[in-house]
Amino acid sequence: MSLGNLLMIMIGLSGGIAVGSGLVALLTVLDIIPRLAQLTRNQKKMVSLQWSLILGACFFTVIDLLDLKILLPLVHLFIMLFGGIAGIFVGLLAAALTEVLNVLPILSKRLGMKKNLLALLMAMVFGKVFGSLFHWLIFLHP
Amino acid sequence: MSMSNQAFLRLRTKVKINQDVSQIFLEDVAQVVASEDVEKKLKRTLIYVRNEGDGNLLVIDAIRIIRSIGEKFPNLTIQFIGSEETLVEVEATHKKSASKLLLILVWMILFIGSGLAIMNFHTDVSMAEVHQRIFYLLTGEHNNHPYLLQIPYSIGIGIGMIVFFNQIFRKRLNEEPSPLELEMYLYQENIEKYAKAYENKENRRGEHEFR
Repeated sequence: MSLGNLLMIMIGLSGGIAVGSGLVALLTVLDIIPRLAQLTRNQKKMVSLQWSLILGACFFTVIDLLDLKILLPLVHLFIMLFGGIAGIFVGLLAAALTEVLNVLPILSKRLGMKKNLLALLMAMVFGKVFGSLFHWLIFLHP
Repeated sequence: MSMSNQAFLRLRTKVKINQDVSQIFLEDVAQVVASEDVEKKLKRTLIYVRNEGDGNLLVIDAIRIIRSIGEKFPNLTIQFIGSEETLVEVEATHKKSASKLLLILVWMILFIGSGLAIMNFHTDVSMAEVHQRIFYLLTGEHNNHPYLLQIPYSIGIGIGMIVFFNQIFRKRLNEEPSPLELEMYLYQENIEKYAKAYENKENRRGEHEFR
């Protein structure tokens, strides 16, 4: 193996480690995994949830970079399921961002809207859903 | 030392009083334990009289209480247990209810703002290209508008946010507070901490006026 190839392996490995730890750091800061474990009463299975993250990241990297096509039966049903699950994950990310968590207490207290907290929360939820639909269906429309 | 010349006080961390009430007695801000006759008199000891200039947050600290009690009961030994100060929140008699118009305005701000934020996010991370790529890898067809993926995705965002806050399904999955409840609590606690540090003028003698 030439020195150039060896260097390439080094660069690839280093880049992968940096990106991988960055991903984990982001998810750790946002506390999404503990939140899901808490909601489903699976605190003892945290390690297995971590493995799901690691395997997911590796799997999708491999099929993306190697251009592997997975042609499943019932592909349209599967792709809808995939979209829904991906959306739930992004929704968790969006909700966990500290901006959202910090804005709501201040708004509700300053404006005397403690009772309307649920309504304000739903405004954000619907805003995200309709914003996303608008983006795909109208904004990017041919 | 007998109970007759000892009193135990535990200051409440936070109390609310009505706007119409101007006199604050010891029983309003503290739990009192002493011998029976002393306890009764102690509870009705005037600690503070509010004046017009006071804001809606007051801090009553142990020193002020010792001063007030010391004048009336010179032989009494006072033992404080726990907190050294009480935050008094003055409540308006007619609580202003939030206006419907304001609520609608805030609702629209949050609705449009969070919609805009998700669009910015999608553009920022090139989500459209990622969706096209996933669609291609799964179906083997090129599609510039993989709606089949994107519509469930959009609905999923809403589901994910609701799951995180767990607000819709009020039935508790467990006793732990939700992230929003925690954040509300921390925000309230910070306000109280600030008030205790800055509303009490004795705590910052010689310091520059903060506000």
